[in-house]
Amino acid sequence: MGLIANYNLRSMIVRKATAAMTAMGIAMVVAVFVMTMAIAQGFRGALVASGSNENAIVLRKGATSETVSAVLRPQLPIIEALPQIARGPDGHPLASPELVVIISLPRASDNHPANVPVRGVGPRAFEIRNTLNFVEGRRFTPGMREINVGKQAVGRFKGLTLGSDVRFGNAAWTVVGIFTAADASFESEVWGDVDLMMPAFQRGGYQSVTVKLTDPSAFESLAAAIGADPRLDLKPQPERDYYEAQSSVTGTLIRIFATFVTAILSIGAVFGAMNTMYAAVAYRTREIGTLRALGFSRLRIVTAFLAESVALALIGGMIGCGLALPVHGLSTGAMNMVSFSELAFKFRITPGLLAGGLFFSAVMGAVGGLLPAIRAARIPVARALREI
Amino acid sequence: MKFIHLVLKSARRSKRRTALTMLSVAVAVFLFAALRAVLDGFAAVAAASSATRIVTIRSTSLIFSMPTSHADVIRNTPGVQDVTWANWFGGIYKDPSNFFAQIAIEPESYLRMYPEILVSPEEKRAFLDDRTGCLVGDGLAKRFGWKVGDRIVLQPGIPNYGSQDYPFTIRGIYRSGGSNVDNQSMLFQWKYADERSDPKAQIGWLVSQVSNPDRAVEVANLVDQKFANSPYETKTETEQAFSAQFASMIGNLNLLLGSVALAVILTTLFVAGNTMAMSVRERTTEIAVMRTLGYPAATIFLLIVGEGLLVAVVGGALGGAAARVLIRGEFLGITGGFIPAFGVNNWNVIVGLGLSAMIGILAAVIPATLASRLRIVDALRQVA
Repeated sequence: MGLIANYNLRSMIVRKATAAMTAMGIAMVVAVFVMTMAIAQGFRGALVASGSNENAIVLRKGATSETVSAVLRPQLPIIEALPQIARGPDGHPLASPELVVIISLPRASDNHPANVPVRGVGPRAFEIRNTLNFVEGRRFTPGMREINVGKQAVGRFKGLTLGSDVRFGNAAWTVVGIFTAADASFESEVWGDVDLMMPAFQRGGYQSVTVKLTDPSAFESLAAAIGADPRLDLKPQPERDYYEAQSSVTGTLIRIFATFVTAILSIGAVFGAMNTMYAAVAYRTREIGTLRALGFSRLRIVTAFLAESVALALIGGMIGCGLALPVHGLSTGAMNMVSFSELAFKFRITPGLLAGGLFFSAVMGAVGGLLPAIRAARIPVARALREI
Repeated sequence: MKFIHLVLKSARRSKRRTALTMLSVAVAVFLFAALRAVLDGFAAVAAASSATRIVTIRSTSLIFSMPTSHADVIRNTPGVQDVTWANWFGGIYKDPSNFFAQIAIEPESYLRMYPEILVSPEEKRAFLDDRTGCLVGDGLAKRFGWKVGDRIVLQPGIPNYGSQDYPFTIRGIYRSGGSNVDNQSMLFQWKYADERSDPKAQIGWLVSQVSNPDRAVEVANLVDQKFANSPYETKTETEQAFSAQFASMIGNLNLLLGSVALAVILTTLFVAGNTMAMSVRERTTEIAVMRTLGYPAATIFLLIVGEGLLVAVVGGALGGAAARVLIRGEFLGITGGFIPAFGVNNWNVIVGLGLSAMIGILAAVIPATLASRLRIVDALRQVA
């Protein structure tokens, strides 16, 4: 194999312009694939990061998201009293009654109104979501019209900087702190005291209660306890499952788009690779004849040309991954179809995605190289040797 | 023109290569036209939106509702001719995955103000007479196989509408008479939902007809001033502005689709450029012979560019035609109501063709330049 591999590799170098163009065609496809999938992964990642194994979210039975759920005020103490819920150092149950509404704020980039989620939370919320980290300012004081703003929201929407007043719900709210949340969707949100948000938004109840479990395994018994209580028409979900489901609609949409575009685009690139490989075979007819005359089997010739094509495509794949890499970590935004609000997230390129891109390029190389390779192997020796 | 024969001859020299190149250009134009169709679909909504209708929502955001008394105040605003209102219902038909828009409308005024909703007079009468009746778009009816007279049951999705199921009878099937109205929605009487909702007498958005389109913005500001500093402040805009913003909420589609389109073009340029280079390299000797026979360098240049152009434009025409036939909302059934008029139009095809011509020329320019500059002696000596 050594000799023949060397031969194919060197032939590639001889035809460097053609090889480079083919590789670039494949590189573009892989770059598009990796970038669009990075959007899907970033979007999903932001929502999945919002859920923790140790938490559960309690919603109205049958509600698929917080916005269509309702939890009545008298139901809160019943939930808080359940033994599956962890207690803070002061003995208080770690449960946060919450309310999410959408407010309209002008986007910083184009001044168009965007839907920004505002979350009213209980005083325990920061102990339950322990990934939250204040980069500026401090937590809001319960009972005060103060808000905290996620890092992503600060840059994306106008008027959310530290110290500024934001008007919504017929009142002015002062931004007193800016937080990060390990890239979770909370970074796109505005948080404030739920007991002030309820009257401000003319709501009579909460939408959900997020609780910290004494142990992730306590979830089953929590679900049983809530299900058994006739006063609660509610149902808990593991927080991670809940947020994963929230990403499904938009995530699937982006994935379908990415698949559609790259599938069609790859057809074009495969045709390009096919052209190149056919030409390679045609130029080297005489050489192939010589190899066959020397005793190399047809199978060896097929594998050699296939390997050349795959190698060429893999080089393209690597260039494509390289081209896509700079977008990693860039922030962008998209509408979450479930909550109807804008979610800011970062392009996320994982090693798995890069491996997927390389694999994809190898497949394109193999598909594009197969027919020319078979043609190479079928060349009759005598005629091939006679060619100039 | 007299050289067309030569161009055709060289394009036929390697049929397989020409065919593969044509197909890659076809694929690119197909994809390009499809991407354009998505953007145009959104633009068409805004373009077809009426300039004489203004939309009022709560200033906080569109998920909040306002009391029906707002309608009376707006009706008495100078410049306003007619007012209607509607509410988002958000019900579930059997399963949440069967999502479609359900809108509770004030029936008479809504159908009066939206002449784009085409429904026969008998069906309209039947709908107005039945408190639990509904109208469904023909696309939606097709999706679920509904007929006039069918009973459908929706489970309320938003807590305000209580927890009991809502039965409906389909009284009519409407068609869309404009790109701003989709055929994937269900319309029913606002009263029906209001009877069971808590709080009562709430409306999600108001639509007003203004008598003079030039004064639409002025009237919109007047409306907002009336509710300034009330507990239910409003934001009023022309229907056009409202639709344009709605599209921008989904995300920066222009940037995303634009970059993909650029990548499509670059990929095809690489593929087509490569083919042209190969084709020219193969014919080095031939070109030298032609030059010896007295063909000027400029003619050689034009012959090669002509070949690139021909291959690309034929490919582009194939791709454009395929896109025109395949990318249609009715054919794919995927609009879901977000883009009412989704489909590749003739203009998309023309732009795609122009693009393929550009690809053909650009791909051929470098090989053509090299070929026309060949020194005859070197070329004749060369063995391919």
